[in-house]
Amino acid sequence: MTGETTPIGSIHVSPRAVATIAYQAALESYGVVGLASKNLITDLTNVLVKDPTQGVEVHYDGENIIIDMYIVIEYGTRIKSVASSVANTVKFHVEKALGMPVNQVNVHVSGLRISSFD
Amino acid sequence: MIMDAQETYISRRQDRFRKAPLDGQALKTLIYAGLTWLRTNQETVNALNVYPVPDGDTGVNMVLTMQAAYDEIADSPEQNFGKMIHVVAHGALMGARGNSGVILSQIWRGLARGSDEIEVLDGRSLVSAFAEARDTAYKGVVRPVEGTILTVAKDVASAAENILVETDDPIRILDHVVGEADESVERTPDLLDVLKKAGVVDAGGKGLFFILEGMLRYINGQPLDTPLVTVQPLSEMVLEDTLKTIEPGQEFEVVVDFRPDNPLDLKEFYSDLEEMGTSIQVGEGEGLYRMHIHLLTEKLYEPIEYTRSLGTVIKASMENLVEQMDEIESRARRSQVDVSPVEKDQIAVIAVSPGYGISLVFASLGVAGIVEGGQTMNPSTEDIMNAFENLPTNKVVILPNNKNIIMAAKSAAELTVKNVAVIPTRTIPQGLAAMLRLIPDGDFDRVVEEMNQALEEVHSGQITTAIRNVEIDNVEVQEGQIIALLDGKLVCSAHSLEEASLDLLVKAEADQYELVTLFFGADISKQDANQIADTIRAAYPNLEVELQDGGQPHYQFILSIE
Repeated sequence: MTGETTPIGSIHVSPRAVATIAYQAALESYGVVGLASKNLITDLTNVLVKDPTQGVEVHYDGENIIIDMYIVIEYGTRIKSVASSVANTVKFHVEKALGMPVNQVNVHVSGLRISSFD
Repeated sequence: MIMDAQETYISRRQDRFRKAPLDGQALKTLIYAGLTWLRTNQETVNALNVYPVPDGDTGVNMVLTMQAAYDEIADSPEQNFGKMIHVVAHGALMGARGNSGVILSQIWRGLARGSDEIEVLDGRSLVSAFAEARDTAYKGVVRPVEGTILTVAKDVASAAENILVETDDPIRILDHVVGEADESVERTPDLLDVLKKAGVVDAGGKGLFFILEGMLRYINGQPLDTPLVTVQPLSEMVLEDTLKTIEPGQEFEVVVDFRPDNPLDLKEFYSDLEEMGTSIQVGEGEGLYRMHIHLLTEKLYEPIEYTRSLGTVIKASMENLVEQMDEIESRARRSQVDVSPVEKDQIAVIAVSPGYGISLVFASLGVAGIVEGGQTMNPSTEDIMNAFENLPTNKVVILPNNKNIIMAAKSAAELTVKNVAVIPTRTIPQGLAAMLRLIPDGDFDRVVEEMNQALEEVHSGQITTAIRNVEIDNVEVQEGQIIALLDGKLVCSAHSLEEASLDLLVKAEADQYELVTLFFGADISKQDANQIADTIRAAYPNLEVELQDGGQPHYQFILSIE
């Protein structure tokens, strides 16, 4: 995806590379305690291999970059505020690294982690 | 001598505070003090952003979060400390705004959790509450970034633990903690490179410090309504907002620039000024000081005489506040813009506009509603919804006209039952270009598509003053320089508006286009704007150059290149 042509050849950035950037950015966002895989089977394989793009899906249709994030949030934080700051952070970091606009960042809150009840 | 008297005063005030138990009601007072002090210093926190464009809102977000926390307890008669602080934490959680607000709410949650069974707070429980606040705050993130409010919360907890060997008096603990928090904030640039590059400390950390310090200042009997004895860099002094805080009886605003003969004793300087008037601000840049004060007519010349006794007065200006207030009010009345009525089944467009002139242009193009807002004052989702909820149509298009508002516009679209499309316009020119494609009776999806396409056809330029030194996208910027952004990207820095405008047009390859519209902002006179328009006309004889009064804050010019 995201091809660019230079005089000596072209540059391709894989969705997986983009996903890694998004994954790192999400983990540094306050309130996010993890990323969740979409289904059980990927979850099981993840036990064996630590995937640096788990819970991130990147779609590119030749024009638009759309990122879906599946996140787990700390119980007791305001979900709306956390989710919107994840979207902003991910968009910022991916755009900074890629130099291309990200059209959408969809944040799916897959679960809450309860460290302790109040 | 003066210092000794002040110390005695403070210790007497602290003793007075010690007489009452630190219960729920005492907590309420302290929260109010923290909130008030934070609000007084809100602009200082806002100014600590790392990008050279003024878009900082950390101060606002933290104030709103604390306000929500206080609102929750304002009328509560609760005596029990533990119960009260749980309500505070709940309020902070519900009202958490922005990243710093979320972290702040976690800190309150931790403090509450650490004070579960506490009826009356003592030193030992205060220390363990600070520890719990640190732990809870750190639990909220997988990879904590140091050099932020988190670090300050951590340093506060360790400072509290360290002083416990010396004293278990909660007031002395707070006193010590505030000093350590101050130092911790000053250390944040050493831990976080972006802060160092931008030459600032962390905004969230500074906000937390102000909350704690406000509590201590209240206990010490120090005022909470005048900003600290800190001197701001000259370019950061925001004197436009000072009119909001006019006290009855203060008739004149005096601003004096002077160069003191000897290093200024700030404490003394401030206390001398406090005797003359209110709303005091002091700025400094390369040995030049600027002071701002509001006072009564009969004291009009006092600040000038006073600064003359300290050194050389370079410039003094005074303005009649009463007249200015009248002017502002009449301007507010004028700023009512007539928008177009919509009928059932027509498409209604809601545009976000940062200034009166720009609102007029949108109105002339037929928008059905205008929401005020822009770079530093983002409208809330609710503000946007209010603009269209009562319109008699179900087809609504929103033009956010700023990248920071797109999010709020989208949530407004999700929350309503109406059919709402958000055109992701990031600039005013994009908004105007989209607006030109509106066919009120057209097919909704078709019109939305057309409007989206329009965004590609226009380039947007913005010209503003850099508020700090920074280097971004290989452009080096000095504080106070004029910078130009093309489609949101910093493209050049310059020493004059003229230079920046011309450079921007070169970068935009303006000779390939036909029309440039200049919207000049509130900070620049029509004459100056005209002059720059003429320079552009001379440089690009084939380009049509239009000048419009935009009235937007912060940006001297917004340019539309099409």
